[in-house]
Amino acid sequence: MHPTSSPRAAGGKAGRLYTVDNPKKSATVTVMTALFAFYCLLPLAWLVINATKSQADFVSTFGLAPGRKFALWDNIVEVFRYQDGIFSRWLVNTLLYVVVGATVSTFLAALGGYALAKLDFRGKRVFLFVVLGSISVPGIALAIPQFLLFARLGLTNTPWAILLPSFINPFGLYLMWVFTAEAVPSGLLEAAKIDGAGELRTFLRIALPLLAPASVTVLLFSFVSIWNNYFLPLIMLKDPAWYPLTVGINQWNKLGSTAGNGALVQNLVITSALLTIIPLIIAFLGLQRYWQSGLSLGAVKG
Amino acid sequence: MRLSRKVRLLCAALVPMFGLAACSGGANGGGDAGGGDEQVKITVWSWDGTVEKAVPGFQAANPNIKVEVVNAGSSQDEYKALDNAIQAGSGVPDLVMFEYFAVPYFAIPGKLADLGEFGADKLKDDYVPAAWGDVTVNGKVYALPSDYGPSAMFYNAATLKKAGVDKPPATWDEYYEAAKKVHALGGDHYIAQDTGDIFFLLSLIWQAGGRPFKVDGNKVHIDFTDEGTTKAVAFWQKMLDEGLVNTKVTGWSDDWNRTLNDGSLATQTMGGWLTSTLPERAPKAAGDFRVALMPQWEQGDKVGAENGGSSFGIPAAAPHKEAAFKFLEYFTHGAGLQTRVDAGAFVPNKSVLDSEAFRNKAVDYFGGQKVGAVLAEASEIVGSGWQYPPFFEWARSIYGDIASPYYTSGKVSLAQILEQWKQRCIQYGNEQGFQVD
Amino acid sequence: MDLARRSDVTPPATSSPDAARDPAPARKRRRSRAGLAFIAPFGALFALVFIVPILYAAFLSLFQERLLGGTTFVGFANYGKLFRDPQFWDGVGRVFRFTLVQVPIMLLFAMALALALDSRRVHGIRFFRATIFLPYAVPAIVSTLMWGFLLGVKYGLFGSLNHALGTDLDPFAPGNTLISIGLMVTWAFTGFNMLIFYSALKAVPRELYEAAAIDGANEFQIIRAIKLPALRGSLVVTIIFSIIGTFQMFNEPQILPTMVANSGVTTYYTPNLYAYNLAFTGSQQGYAAALALVMAAITIAVAYAVQIRGLRNASDQ
Repeated sequence: MHPTSSPRAAGGKAGRLYTVDNPKKSATVTVMTALFAFYCLLPLAWLVINATKSQADFVSTFGLAPGRKFALWDNIVEVFRYQDGIFSRWLVNTLLYVVVGATVSTFLAALGGYALAKLDFRGKRVFLFVVLGSISVPGIALAIPQFLLFARLGLTNTPWAILLPSFINPFGLYLMWVFTAEAVPSGLLEAAKIDGAGELRTFLRIALPLLAPASVTVLLFSFVSIWNNYFLPLIMLKDPAWYPLTVGINQWNKLGSTAGNGALVQNLVITSALLTIIPLIIAFLGLQRYWQSGLSLGAVKG
Repeated sequence: MRLSRKVRLLCAALVPMFGLAACSGGANGGGDAGGGDEQVKITVWSWDGTVEKAVPGFQAANPNIKVEVVNAGSSQDEYKALDNAIQAGSGVPDLVMFEYFAVPYFAIPGKLADLGEFGADKLKDDYVPAAWGDVTVNGKVYALPSDYGPSAMFYNAATLKKAGVDKPPATWDEYYEAAKKVHALGGDHYIAQDTGDIFFLLSLIWQAGGRPFKVDGNKVHIDFTDEGTTKAVAFWQKMLDEGLVNTKVTGWSDDWNRTLNDGSLATQTMGGWLTSTLPERAPKAAGDFRVALMPQWEQGDKVGAENGGSSFGIPAAAPHKEAAFKFLEYFTHGAGLQTRVDAGAFVPNKSVLDSEAFRNKAVDYFGGQKVGAVLAEASEIVGSGWQYPPFFEWARSIYGDIASPYYTSGKVSLAQILEQWKQRCIQYGNEQGFQVD
Repeated sequence: MDLARRSDVTPPATSSPDAARDPAPARKRRRSRAGLAFIAPFGALFALVFIVPILYAAFLSLFQERLLGGTTFVGFANYGKLFRDPQFWDGVGRVFRFTLVQVPIMLLFAMALALALDSRRVHGIRFFRATIFLPYAVPAIVSTLMWGFLLGVKYGLFGSLNHALGTDLDPFAPGNTLISIGLMVTWAFTGFNMLIFYSALKAVPRELYEAAAIDGANEFQIIRAIKLPALRGSLVVTIIFSIIGTFQMFNEPQILPTMVANSGVTTYYTPNLYAYNLAFTGSQQGYAAALALVMAAITIAVAYAVQIRGLRNASDQ
């Protein structure tokens, strides 16, 4: 039942036919993919190169050329020292928002997706329509009503102002619904219930493990979107001690890019941006294993 | 049944908000504190880094007041945050930074406390007159100036010399002649950059004696056809028409930093605060730049204008007004002022501008020039009587929409742009409850 | 085609997926209660974060705020004004045009890449998968900084390119700005969509391919008969989410004017940017709320149309 984990030699007619799990590599397809990867990497190359430059070199050398002096370490040290080391605080905040937010939102999405796919309740269609409809409302215009509501509840300028909205991931709910419908055989659930398991127990013991790969997908998307969340914290938080990285970095950038006598610290903006992307890369590569290990979806279907 | 519970839940959440919307602004009278021995904490919103430097000294002198300085965003972001906080009735800071043009926006609808109550009037004589005018609305003081932007001409002496201009242009006519020589250097050499910078254009108008905005109570009068305005606009039109201005590089962008750095931008007429940030933007041009007064409209004149600058005011809904004023006075007049000046602040206080220490300090980046003396003079000669309409924040945000097609296609003229801008302002201002014509 | 039917992994978008049929009535009631309990945490938070603010926005849209004279009830006047506002329709037209061109291109790339990776005919699959997804993880402020450099004509890479080729193209001339924004948006979101497609493909049982291979099908036949049908459901999802995304375009036009002069980006360049400027600099919260709701209605209508079409195509198969 695990086709992907057992590479099988395919039938004899080598050449035109391929083994499903290990086909002949194609240079053409590789090159075309590589071209697109180049498009993806070029701007990032700029980021890496410029993170190694001092501020003076940044304004005076060509973007893709190295600076006169290799200042990456200086920049990193300065990022962590600038404004009394507030960067570390932002990093911790962001981790808090991301870990708690992504975990809870994934769990809620799984719970909701499961209910939509496997349980009946009145108003299911209305519920879906409202959820999908609501995300069509431009978030910018909701920011102020959200702010006023949260201020009313005394939540502004606290981590809850960021966490509560991040618990909701409509796209995650949608994915979970779709995955649950496909990956969790209703027969299995029925069997568990006949054995006397309650709904919650059935969900936790039977459904959730089957949803692991889908959960990783949703977790990853939640992770990234909370990590990049900018507008909401900008409105909700006024205390830099609660800022996430995005707002903090943007504020550093604005110091020098708006009219006034703010400090010009583009080298710190760029280096800190690079530093913020690295955890995401690690998270992605760390979770890659789950993508790799043949989604149990396939197993169930087969 | 499910539905009705949901509806009830929503109503419970919404009703207080509706009530809130109906009586916004009325909330939070705010008992003052900060006198006696009671411990008070005040919140200051500032994107001026020097204010924070004054905190330790103030707290040492006033142990019962704790000051928390917060960067709540720059300019527009902060103003909106303040509006939100006032509307929500919670989280209103005690002391807030405003650019000069934003003071009437908050003062006229009654969102700022009249600082006269705290004796701010006494401080008037320490300021250059124009700065005091900036914080006075309909005869009352609503903020105290904290930094100043007398317009000055920063020029790259090396570039000018290469172009055959040996001394900085003293009049706009000389400036025009110099512009042609600089442009003749070829390539991307220009004497100035402008991509529709309203503050620059207004500083030209200001200097030429134009006063396009007249504000009296709720009445706003806009006119871009007075003599000074016409003169300034016609001059700049000529510069643009003859291609003497770089219209590709926008201020504060990375490209701008680079044109300053490589010497292809010969002059930048801007607020005096450029002094502190120019060295980091143009490190390679160290020693090349100098500062001069703005070129004059007539030989022998000495008139200046403003370009930027900011102040601090106390919201009417602030919880600790008295303590806030104490701190405000400390960093705009008391011992905190010098701390800020040492940290790079440029202030309109005569006590600072007239001091020997300020005037005689030679600055290496500017080739040893005594920059302070030039800027002090530029501050003192700023023409008075300028006013901003209370909706200027909005007006400047849409100016680019109107001006941009001109800067890319060259169609229409600056005068037509200003006329169109005026019409939009009139419409908007009247919608907002002012009487604008 | 039997293969296609079996591999159609994604259920139709709106109708409820095939939950187990015909349980006993008593059980059904119990499940109904359980269903509500399962959906409740999401539902409650959703109400707090979305529904209540939307209702509040709807309420605000009936008022006009003034700097002087406070807030007055104006009924539906904001909506009337909006329908006559050429700036609003200018923005709507722009995001429509943008969506029509950019979304298909982006999704085609995403799909092609997903197919390429899933075919396992590519060297370094793991590397490419991570690389192509990576841009999605770059905060918008940073990505705009990077693209500002790459497309800059004076000091940027594009300028060097112009120089080398003797051309005089400006990616941020008003006529070209939208294309440049498209380049940035495609860069940022192709990987995201690719992952959606890729995980849908992963869900196809590989026995199907083996069976097809034994029947003598070549790669393209397998793509047509098995893989593309398997992607249909995700395609509807990605289209809808891309439409919602581009209709709400904000970051790029918001940041661009600080870097490039006169790129043609106005304060009403996209409806979302317009709403922001109305609410944040114009103090026209009520008008901005009306705009947001109308924009949402337009988005829903378009998304719904796409869904219906997606469903019809699905049943045609």
